[in-house]
Amino acid sequence: MPQIGTKQRILDASVLLFNREGLANVRLQQIADETGISVGNLAYHFKNKEAIVTAVYESLFEELKQILSTYLSQPSLSDFDDQLRRYYSFFRKYRFYLIDLFEIERSFPDIIAQWHEFVAKMILQIRRRIDYSIQRGVFVPEPTKGLYDTLSDNIWMTITFWIPQQVLKGLPLDENSFKSALWIQFQPYFTDKGLAEYHDTIAPIEIDRGK
Amino acid sequence: MRKFSLSKEMYAQMLDGLNNLYFSDKLGFSDDLKFIANDYWLGDTAVIEQLQLRKGLWEVNLIFAYPSAPTRFLKRRITAHASPQRAAQMAFYMRRLAAKDQRGTISVNIDDFHLSLN
Repeated sequence: MPQIGTKQRILDASVLLFNREGLANVRLQQIADETGISVGNLAYHFKNKEAIVTAVYESLFEELKQILSTYLSQPSLSDFDDQLRRYYSFFRKYRFYLIDLFEIERSFPDIIAQWHEFVAKMILQIRRRIDYSIQRGVFVPEPTKGLYDTLSDNIWMTITFWIPQQVLKGLPLDENSFKSALWIQFQPYFTDKGLAEYHDTIAPIEIDRGK
Repeated sequence: MRKFSLSKEMYAQMLDGLNNLYFSDKLGFSDDLKFIANDYWLGDTAVIEQLQLRKGLWEVNLIFAYPSAPTRFLKRRITAHASPQRAAQMAFYMRRLAAKDQRGTISVNIDDFHLSLN
């Protein structure tokens, strides 16, 4: 197997174990066992657990960058729906990150700094999306000053913490419930045109997938 | 190496720019790209090198001549050399680079154009 394959296999196994056991509880031996290689071989690719965690975060941030880059590739509400789908798979794949957030904050300050940058970008994108939708006439102009800033923060919170709260409640994870939880927050601010577009393009897709 | 990062304000401006793009951009017409089609004939031309002494330097010119229409040709100055041998060598290689057929099978015959010199 080529080296790049082994490295990727180690990272995949690490993500799986971090999700299952938590970041702090995973030992190198477990990662090696899960990958199907010896600890010596693992040490050849990554000198310690810190190196693995950093590499996992590199790929995590790379994926997040990809999601952010899909901003407004289509001038419609379904553009956001598509981005939400990507966010859902991302946060599902890397859910250990949020569960172990405070552990990471203590041990990996660089990673937290990067995360702060991404959070700011995510919130800004949501806010600018609302501005764009007002211009396009699918959202009503801001009813009270600062309301859409708060709405953007709330949307971000739902995107990021929807999965952990489902886990906490012992409820199943599914994309449709995730998206519904988000779209429902936008609904009071739709204009008639926005509501019609929502019912034409977003709602039917959700119902179809729910079948 | 320091990682590139965009400030929050700059990122906000960039997103505003993207938002505006959908309102300010207009669809183009097919005519806008006609200039590409207008130059298709250049792909089928015979390329002729020409050396010309100008201001003490040997200029290398390439003439792109369309074999089936005598009025369609284009002359371009490529480079200039003090030595005529070097200019000739450069002209040879430049012609080979520019010509569609490197061996020069596309050629222009003056008689094809039935020119009247009266």
